[in-house]
Amino acid sequence: MIRVAAVGDIHMGKDSQGLLRPAFDTLPDCADLLLLAGDLTRHGTPEEARVVAREVSGLPVPVVAVLGNHDHHDERPDEVTAVLREAGVRVLEGQGTVVEVDGARVGVAGTKGFGGGFAGRCGSEFGEPLMKEFIRYTRRCADGLRDGLEDLARQGCEARIALTHFSPVPDTLAGEPLEIYPFLGSYLLAEAIDTAGADLAVHGHAHAGTEHGMTSGGVRVRNVAQPVIRRAFSVYHLHGSEASAAA
Amino acid sequence: MSEYGEAANTEYRVAHLEERLAAEELGELGMRVEVRGTTVSVRGTVPTTQCRDELLHVVRDELAGLTVHTDIVVAETTAPDHPEELA
Repeated sequence: MIRVAAVGDIHMGKDSQGLLRPAFDTLPDCADLLLLAGDLTRHGTPEEARVVAREVSGLPVPVVAVLGNHDHHDERPDEVTAVLREAGVRVLEGQGTVVEVDGARVGVAGTKGFGGGFAGRCGSEFGEPLMKEFIRYTRRCADGLRDGLEDLARQGCEARIALTHFSPVPDTLAGEPLEIYPFLGSYLLAEAIDTAGADLAVHGHAHAGTEHGMTSGGVRVRNVAQPVIRRAFSVYHLHGSEASAAA
Repeated sequence: MSEYGEAANTEYRVAHLEERLAAEELGELGMRVEVRGTTVSVRGTVPTTQCRDELLHVVRDELAGLTVHTDIVVAETTAPDHPEELA
């Protein structure tokens, strides 16, 4: 069994230091790794990233993260990434990482992802250059996620997890206004997950959404935005790897 | 001002509030701000009590003169008491 702790949208600022650490200190008792599903800061400044870094620094479980849109707001995502990596956080964008859990290899592939909407109600690469780039950017994120998951399969991981900030499915957006769904996720992420195969998909971003969903390929999806799960993190117990085989 | 003008004015003020919440110190995009009859409701979750105080200050300032109902929750930071089994 693999115990996966996950939270997103912790939106830390200078007034946040120490709020989550007491809960994170319980992680060794209940989880084998911690996933951070983006929007770790409010404005994406290195100063806010240092608050996050101190909050997770020295934890005895591996910490794997993707950035969110807030972490890009100050247009210094590379600096935010560097601050987090210096604290030992494995920050993913279009690649994967492997965590050893009692001899088992657990792979996590991650991308921030982006919007565009869901099948039948989505944007397309058409018209103005900005609109085309919007969708192409999402497609590049999804391609990176698929490549990461496939690489983890080649590395023989017993379990694989897709970690994103934006949602791969509309299920976990229930509660959000329908009008903003195209800004909350994209079916391209789900297509990548279903193509490469995964045991679990974890995302954040949708504060008013719901926790549980599933891709059309049957991969379970969990929205771990902190306002949704209403605690410091959720823990999921993964048993077996029935969903790992590529579709 | 016409009745239509009053309604439109409230909608624009709500839009300006949302823009301000995103642009200023809070960087807040997760609030649900809705015009309900003659009132405005503001609902959502913020990371800290300081954020809630700041948000309520901005709401009062931007929607001065309107009846506003707020339901702002501070994110919970306790550890979970049970896992979910994904069998």
